[in-house]
Amino acid sequence: MPEAANPASVLETLLKHPGRIIHDLHHRPTAALPAWLLGLGLLGMALYGLVVGTLSGGTQLLVAPAKMALGTFLAMIICLPSLYIFICLDGIEARIRTVSGILFAAVCLAALLLIGFAPVGWIFSQSTDSIALMSALHLLFWLIAIGFGLRLLSAAGSFFGTGGRAHLRLWNLIFVLVCLQMTSTLRPIIGKSDTFLPREKKFFVAHWIDSMKGEQKKN
Amino acid sequence: MIPFTKSLLRGDASEIVEWLADFNSKRVLRCCLLIVVGCGIYGATVGLWRAPLQGAFTAVKFPLLVFLTCAGNALLNGMLAQVLGSGLSFRQTSLAILISFATAAVVLGAISPLTLFLLYNTPPLGSAADVTGHSVMLLTHVCVIAYAGVLANQRLLRLLEKMSGSRATARRVLVSWLAGNLFLGAQLAWTLRPFIGSPQLAVQFLRDDPLRGNFYEAVARAAGHLFF
Repeated sequence: MPEAANPASVLETLLKHPGRIIHDLHHRPTAALPAWLLGLGLLGMALYGLVVGTLSGGTQLLVAPAKMALGTFLAMIICLPSLYIFICLDGIEARIRTVSGILFAAVCLAALLLIGFAPVGWIFSQSTDSIALMSALHLLFWLIAIGFGLRLLSAAGSFFGTGGRAHLRLWNLIFVLVCLQMTSTLRPIIGKSDTFLPREKKFFVAHWIDSMKGEQKKN
Repeated sequence: MIPFTKSLLRGDASEIVEWLADFNSKRVLRCCLLIVVGCGIYGATVGLWRAPLQGAFTAVKFPLLVFLTCAGNALLNGMLAQVLGSGLSFRQTSLAILISFATAAVVLGAISPLTLFLLYNTPPLGSAADVTGHSVMLLTHVCVIAYAGVLANQRLLRLLEKMSGSRATARRVLVSWLAGNLFLGAQLAWTLRPFIGSPQLAVQFLRDDPLRGNFYEAVARAAGHLFF
């Protein structure tokens, strides 16, 4: 990893040698690297959000990127305290700054992979009007991408300590659930709405079932 | 405070055995502070669904429940530890139990942003789906508290194994402590109710005449209604 972190070197190292990022976050605690990881991760999510917004077009081209970035940021903030505590419970010795940096790296890697999926997502969004189909497709891409991100987090766990990973695995599940709930908290991300945030509170499973029913009625 | 909390969470029995051997009132205060903050923040998220005032009440009552359970059983737990051959004194017993509660409190405190997020997404009181909301909140809190409790007791078991040098003795001591703490804790929780707050009842710090009736009578009555 070069001394002066810049976006290109950060992204290249994250893809090719993620272990170096973890090493640097632990041994060279500077603010620049975590800041780049966070910024690039949120930017990547916003860019993928642009592709998500192309299904509805119009204002959704601005709303979807904002919601993707905001949702990711909120999920990270909500889950960071439990990540730090669960890492400690697994017997891993790490500072909060390092743990935050690794979480940002995991999300940044997921965002990078999502950008890789973006052309595929865009082609499908141009060939269908089905919100349910596109939701399922975007969810599949997101699950694959976040799977790689969380794998980086587990690798970081192995790097820092020799203890068990049970709590970290549980945290992975919690993080995925929080992100999935964000799809309901900040809905609609794919479809259109008159308001930025929903008026009714719903759990994500109920929201998905309602969306499927709405789609069936349309057909 | 942070290194102390980290050591607590790692649950390194060799390190905590030293804390017990070298009794220090600062450690007791730190454990108490962690319980007040961790259980207090978590307690607030428990009561918030019913009303903000209920959140404030539960933030006070949750740590209070922990302290009252510890104090009420301190003598009994100390005696059990000695009778069952753990080698722990009264003071060491109280500190070990306090450490276990402090561990659970830190975990609960760290999970509270998640329960707050869940609360934000739960259908509010008065909405069509408020019964679902109440059930989801109740179930989530039961799971989270059970998780924190199991985790804290696993660490306490490791500590007892280290102190007594025998797995069987450690298990016997832990089970006897758990039985006493659950027996008293359930009754104290009943006395200090409401925590979440029933949608049909008023927001109160304590229910009217809180010392009347007990947890076990209520359970027996509920079972009677269900089966007879």
